[in-house]
Formats: sequence, C-alpha cells, structure tokens
Amino acid sequence: MILLLRKDLRTLLRTPVLLAVLLAYPLVIATLVGLVAGYASSKPRVALVDRDDLPPQIVVGNRRFDVQRTIDEVGNNVTLVRGLDAEEAERELESGRLVAVITVPPGFVATLRQMVQSPTLELAITRGGTSSRVRQQVQALVYQLNRRLQRAYIDANIEYVRLLLHGGRGKFLGEDFNVLGLEETQRELDALPADERLDRIRQFVHDARLALAQTDDALRATAAPIELHELPRRGRSAALSAQVQGYALALTLTFLCLVLAAGALAAERDENVLPRLARGLVSPTRLVAAKVALAGVVALVVGLAVAVAFGIAIDVSDVRGGEPWLRLPLLAAGLVVAGASIGAAGTLLGGIARDARTASLVAVLVVLPLVFLGLIPREVFPAAAWASDALPFTHAYRLFDASLYDLSPWGPVAREAAWLVGLGLVFAVAARAAVARPE
Amino acid sequence: MTLLRARAVARSFGRRVALEPTDLDLREGELVALVGPNGAGKSTLLSILAGALSPTDGTVERHARTGWVPQRTAHYGRLTARENLVLFARLEHAPLAEVDELLEAFELPGDVRAVRLSVGNRQRLDVALALLGSPRVLLLDEPTAALDPAQRRRLWELASALRDDGGAVLVATHHHEELEQHADRVLELVEGRLA
Repeated sequence: MILLLRKDLRTLLRTPVLLAVLLAYPLVIATLVGLVAGYASSKPRVALVDRDDLPPQIVVGNRRFDVQRTIDEVGNNVTLVRGLDAEEAERELESGRLVAVITVPPGFVATLRQMVQSPTLELAITRGGTSSRVRQQVQALVYQLNRRLQRAYIDANIEYVRLLLHGGRGKFLGEDFNVLGLEETQRELDALPADERLDRIRQFVHDARLALAQTDDALRATAAPIELHELPRRGRSAALSAQVQGYALALTLTFLCLVLAAGALAAERDENVLPRLARGLVSPTRLVAAKVALAGVVALVVGLAVAVAFGIAIDVSDVRGGEPWLRLPLLAAGLVVAGASIGAAGTLLGGIARDARTASLVAVLVVLPLVFLGLIPREVFPAAAWASDALPFTHAYRLFDASLYDLSPWGPVAREAAWLVGLGLVFAVAARAAVARPE
Repeated sequence: MTLLRARAVARSFGRRVALEPTDLDLREGELVALVGPNGAGKSTLLSILAGALSPTDGTVERHARTGWVPQRTAHYGRLTARENLVLFARLEHAPLAEVDELLEAFELPGDVRAVRLSVGNRQRLDVALALLGSPRVLLLDEPTAALDPAQRRRLWELASALRDDGGAVLVATHHHEELEQHADRVLELVEGRLA
C-alpha cells in the first residue's frame, strides 16, 4: 500500500498542470459560490413615494429631525429609488423590478407635528424572495424612527408636566396658553385663611407635585421598558469567519479528494496495471486503501495550507474569535479523516468508471450537487438534509467548523469523525467490490 | 515435471462464454504456442493462467514462479522504466539487483518516462517486468506484435533459453511462420475451446 501511495504521490507531482487545476478549480468554485451568496444578500430595490412633500427637516416637539439623513440611513440596507410617483412605483412592484414600495401619505408631517395621533407609513411588498428581509428592514427602520420620535414626544410631554408643576407659557395644537402651575397654586392656597376644604385642596396639590416630579423617569421607562445597547464590534469579520473557513476547506477537499481518488483508481485500469496487480501483488482492499490514503495525505497538505493562510489573514487583520493556531493539530486529524472519507467515495466512482477520464468527469459532476445538498438548511428542505447526511461533505464541514470554532469541540468532532469513518467504510467496501469486478 | 496445471478452467462475462472448460499442462523444458483467431479466448486463458483473472470454473495450479506479458502494455506511463521495474520488483519481492540487469538486457533507457518510450520499448519493458524474480514459467500474449525483426528474434532467443534451462513458455501468437522454428507443440483455440 505504501509503495502504491508513494507511486501516486510521485505521479501527482509529475503532473503540475493537473495539480494546479485540482487546487485552483475548487478555489474558483468557492469564489463563485461566495459571489452568488453575495448577490443573494445584495441590497433589494425599494421605492420611496413621497406624497406629502417631505421637507428637509421637521421639528417635532422641541426636536429637529433631519429627514434627508434618515432617508440616507435607509439606503444603507436597501437600494432606495426616489422620484417615482405612486402609479410608476406600483407598476415596477408588479413587474418585480422593485421589492417594496414605502409611501409617505399626504398629511404625514402635519399629523407628526401635532403629536396627538400616530402618522402612518404604507408598505407594499412582493411575495417570496427577499421580501421577508425587506419587511424586517422596514420594520427596523420604523422602529428606529419611533425611538427618535419617542424622545421628542416624551420631551414634549415632560415639558407639559413641567408646565403643570411650575407654571408658565406653553403651546398646544398651535394655540398659546398660560398655566398657573401647581407650585404657584400652592403658594396662592397658602395665602388663603385656614379652612378644612382648602386644606384638602392643599394636600392634593402637594401630592400632585410629588407625583408629577417623578413623571420624567417614569415616562422614559414606559416608552422603552427594555433598551438595547449595542457594544463595540468584536470577533471576526464575515469573510474570515470560522464558517467561511469551514466551507472553504470542505469544498476544496471534496473536489480535490473526490476527483483525485476517482482518477487515481481508474488510472490503474486505464494503464492496464490492474490485472498485473491482481496477480497476488496488491489485493483490491489494499488498492482501495492506497487511494484512500492518497486522498487523506493530499487533504492534510492542502487543508493545512488553507488553514495557515486563513490564520495569517486573521493575525494580519487583527481579528478575534476562534483559535486559528491552537486548533491546528485537531484540524489536521480532521483533515485526514475527512479527506480519506471523501476519497473513499471517489474510489467508488473510480471503481465503477472504466477509465480515468470518465471517472474524473463523473467526479466533477458529482461534486457540486454533493456540496449544494450540504448547503441547503435542514428547516428549508429536510429531504436534502437527510441525503446530505449520507454524504461526507456536510460532516466534513461540521468537523472543520467544530475543530476551529467550538468552545468544547470534542463531542461534535467525535460525532462527525464517526460519521465520516462510517461513510468512508461503506464507500470503500463498495469500491472494493467495483474494483474486483472483471473487465 | 508439470510447472503449471489448469483443469477445466472456464470463464464467462455475463452471458458471453469466453472460454469453455479447458485442461492444460505446461511441463519443464517446453515451449508451447497458442494460436487461434481474434476473440478465440487466448488472452482470457493466459490471464487465468497468470492469475490476473479468476476463472468462473476450474482450477489452476502453479508450481513455479510465473511471469506474464499481457497483450496490451501494463505499466505506469508517468514512471520511468527503472521506477516501474523497482516498484514491481518490490511488489514481487524480487531482488532489486535484477532491475539494472533487465534494463541492460533489454537496452531500455532507465530514466525516460514509460509514456515517452516507443511502442516497441514499452513492450520490452513489459517483458522485463515479466522476468522479475526469474520466473520458470513465462506466459506471453502476442509479445512480438510491436517488435521489429531484431527484437522479435531476441525475444524468441530469450524464450528458448528459458525452455533450455528447464522452464516452460506459453506464447499466444498469430505469426505461424515462427511456430515451426520455435514451438515444441501448438495448441489451437477456437471459440473458447481447444481444438
């Protein structure tokens, strides 16, 4: 087995073009998958139809709101299309060119300024696709606006309460008014002669003053029972996340090991060496084991190279989260197990195919469905997840992810390694039967 | 003394019968020719005798080390002739000293990858591989097909020398003119059956 493994490694190193393609292709695929994923998360087009001629700034209570800046903030999450009238926006929504239309109805600003009723924004949204994400983004936007307006509303209400307490001049619905205030009322009452009925009024005024003095905090607490305070950003960026690293490793190794093992085994038949080996020199079991070992060795070398590249990128970028260096030994063991398991699947393809070209082509064709099955969330399509459980890609990804990221990796690593070993044995036994099959 | 004995060996591929039950003995000091039209089952019989193919029925007894030259070249194209010989010498547990002897005897360029050798040289490499471990029985499946007259003559000399040393040689060939000169007996295989 060692002799054949050395022979295969020597052969591999003597075909640098093949080696380069085997390494570059999965990286290209990973990049394309990343771009597709990026497109899927690109900003949806949302129209803002302004039927109220929003001014650049609005004063609510004593607070001034920059309308333009608020609209620009919406543009951080969606591609905001402005300048459409209601009819145009409706047409584009129906044609699918817009995902949603936010309409500011007539009277919106006036209602807002009055601070008596809640003004309404109208949201029209398409079904499916990114609509749920857009809905969440618009809800988040309205939540943010409400939070700012709450402060204005609360400030205005507190101002009215202060007027009640201290007295003075105020304005409501555009009308000026003058308020005596509880303090002045109490002073006026104190100047009057003692009287039982007056004493009760004095007591009420005293209690009201005490109660209203607490209104400030109570109003703020009522408006926001729970406040969310966002901490400064920590951990890795998305591009360097353990998840991305896990997928990159699993995708690269799946392609590499599957194609390599399939091609290497089929090449034995291609070169007509299989009958020579079958003369008691190398048993089918050892032949399959040699190809599985080849996949394991290549997976270890390439996987460690990818992991080291990620580790350097993480160090250079000074990002935190995960243990890119401490977990390398655990990852190395996982790479060998995953590579061997995927390689066993490759040997099955190589054993079934009659020549190396067919084996390689079939392996390439098999890789993408195998990978995409593993990317479909279980809750979206359970059948795909079950199918994926019977294939090594998902388990390889989970193994790498746990090795690199989990605080307590031993449980998940052991479980996924057991899956990979079991699947590898099944594939290898089937491959052995295919190899032993006569021409 | 019988060096190789086959009894009722037969081979089918699915429903197709490639070789009817066949008996064959190869004894010390004989060179046997196996003739027959294409598809008669010659390669199947030789593969079974060599142990490269399991018979569907029957048994094969090998009482001596057996070398086999298949009809189609069977070695690693990306390895050099020397690397092929070293690899198979190790697999056959043959002395590595034989590698240089065989390279010299067959005038093979040791450091050239097999895929870059001429067809004739590749066939000679296969013969060299068959001789690893100094077998006493040599099974040759149309070994002269790609050889020039000089190489062909040398191969017959080699086969004759093996026979003269008490070995046994079985050669499948279409070259009837060579049989009379070299073969001790001739077997004819027709539609999977010895005639």
